[in-house]
Amino acid sequence: MKVILLILVIYLLFISTGYGQDKVYYNQTEVGALFGKGQELWNGEHDSRLGFSLITFHGAKISKYHVVGFSLGFDQYESISIIPFALGWRGFLGKENRPQLIGGLDFGGGSAILEKKENTEWYESWYEGGLMYSPSIGVKLPAKKGKTSLTLTIAYKSQKAGYFQGFFDQGLTPRPLTNSNLPPGYNSITETFYQFHSLVARIGLAF
Amino acid sequence: MKTFGIRLVTLVLVISGIFLSCQDEISTTYTYRTMMPIYLEMSDVRARMISVSPPQPLDNPGKIYIYGDYLLINEPQEGIHILDNSNPANPINKSFIPIQGNVDMAINDNKLYADSYVDLLVFDISAINNIKLINRVKDVFTHLYSHDTGVVVTLKDSVVTVDSESWLTDRGFFLANSSASFASNFSEASKSYGQGGSMARFTLMSDHLYAVDQTSLKVFDVKNPSEPSFLKNINLGWGIETIFPFQEKLFIGSNRGMHIYDAKNPSAPTKMSVYEHVLACDPVVVNEEHAFVTLRSGNFCFNGVNELQIIDIKNPYSPKLKKAYPMLNPHGLGLAGDYLYLAEGTHGLKSFKVNDVMTIDQNQLEFLQSMKSVDLIPGPKSLIVIGPEGVCQFDYSVPNKLKKLSCIDVKNPVVVK
Repeated sequence: MKVILLILVIYLLFISTGYGQDKVYYNQTEVGALFGKGQELWNGEHDSRLGFSLITFHGAKISKYHVVGFSLGFDQYESISIIPFALGWRGFLGKENRPQLIGGLDFGGGSAILEKKENTEWYESWYEGGLMYSPSIGVKLPAKKGKTSLTLTIAYKSQKAGYFQGFFDQGLTPRPLTNSNLPPGYNSITETFYQFHSLVARIGLAF
Repeated sequence: MKTFGIRLVTLVLVISGIFLSCQDEISTTYTYRTMMPIYLEMSDVRARMISVSPPQPLDNPGKIYIYGDYLLINEPQEGIHILDNSNPANPINKSFIPIQGNVDMAINDNKLYADSYVDLLVFDISAINNIKLINRVKDVFTHLYSHDTGVVVTLKDSVVTVDSESWLTDRGFFLANSSASFASNFSEASKSYGQGGSMARFTLMSDHLYAVDQTSLKVFDVKNPSEPSFLKNINLGWGIETIFPFQEKLFIGSNRGMHIYDAKNPSAPTKMSVYEHVLACDPVVVNEEHAFVTLRSGNFCFNGVNELQIIDIKNPYSPKLKKAYPMLNPHGLGLAGDYLYLAEGTHGLKSFKVNDVMTIDQNQLEFLQSMKSVDLIPGPKSLIVIGPEGVCQFDYSVPNKLKKLSCIDVKNPVVVK
């Protein structure tokens, strides 16, 4: 997946050099916060969720108002840390070198590679990432001098993830059962699937 | 600029609006292996005709019994497979005796004894192509009865998946986990391997049939092979797993130690001693002077020890630990004369010369690391090894050079970690 992204970016950078003098590379790096609402609790209330979010988007201008590229980041959902990676698009509305509206869409996945896997004699547990997409809207406020702009972005982000905990069969002679949805060697497995819906508020720089 | 601001505010509101209607979705499924109780009327079970059926593939083989040129392989709770093993390099599946609730068997003078829930059945197998049920001794394994009502409770190994709200997950988690309940003892008992192998539960000696269940030893008189009569029940305490007869003594392995019973008077065995050790699951094999016991970690009887223990039993009233050798993860073991074969689980299969028990570690003959195994039976024609490849046979006429002859495919072989 990452290799494909890389090839695509290199390809885009390559073809877009054909546009001549314009600056081709576009970078938008932002930090912010993820806001979410937890599942309904037994008393009908919801916990709120707040986490740190970082995203860095690298793209190539394919026309005056459109940039395509990829994004990479870091998101904290309660106890789960996710590295999101996605193909992305940024579109601009408004005159150049004036405040512009930015629309964005990132579509990809999240990896739970930062989460520790546990493997003991008794059980193993691990996290898995999953599908991520995030439409966003923001403003780009260019500096008076230089090429750098300040960006303010609000995004919706959907992220799937899973947590798995499998206990090993401790029997004298463990055997799988036919037609069993339990992996061989396991006595039990708990699978927890998360779909996080977050509102993301970010601030950053673009150049 | 003004319109720009209005656009921005509108969009922010729309996105926030969409978002606010959403909440995180968390779902949990818990899939576990457990023993589901099944209630059966014994009268229904008894009413069913037992007729020998065509061969069936081995699914989940239990005890293996060698009978002349034949191998009898139990399918726990289902019945007994009969295989022609006159050529160990090419065993042929001949037929299947369907016996509900069967987990064990023994053969005496062409009579096959097999349990069927609470009953002991006797088959005439003198003509292997014409096996007949000739007797049924009723209500002997009564521990299976629920409240003496004629209803048998049997437990079926099952996999269950439940969905739960995330905040419910922690409840019932360990309660439902079969490895933490007594039920798992039953499942292990029903799946114990081979007589001849060291994990047997039925055994024959001096015209008596001995059967151990989890807590007791049952004695049957089989002087008249077709008319076994139930003599007595001897309480042994919890966690009984295996029985091994040797020279008018019974060596009974439990998960707390080894019981030695004197069976000079075969109808009334008396306790000689109990060799106790820390909690462990331990098959036993015995020769004149020594008992060989394996202790291993990694199962329900966890004690963190992986050892082959040699116990001096010259004085059966006072068995003494003579020497212990560290092993990797020893399971079943088998003794053939001066040679000991030991299943090391995922690590393979080891063979030792054991005429001098003090130097067993220096007399390791072979260590076949590719042959993962959990139990073995030194038979007259071949060494039968049970492992993830199924039921395999080795030529062991040259004890230090095992030669694989064949493997019988098994649909659900053991998983060896």
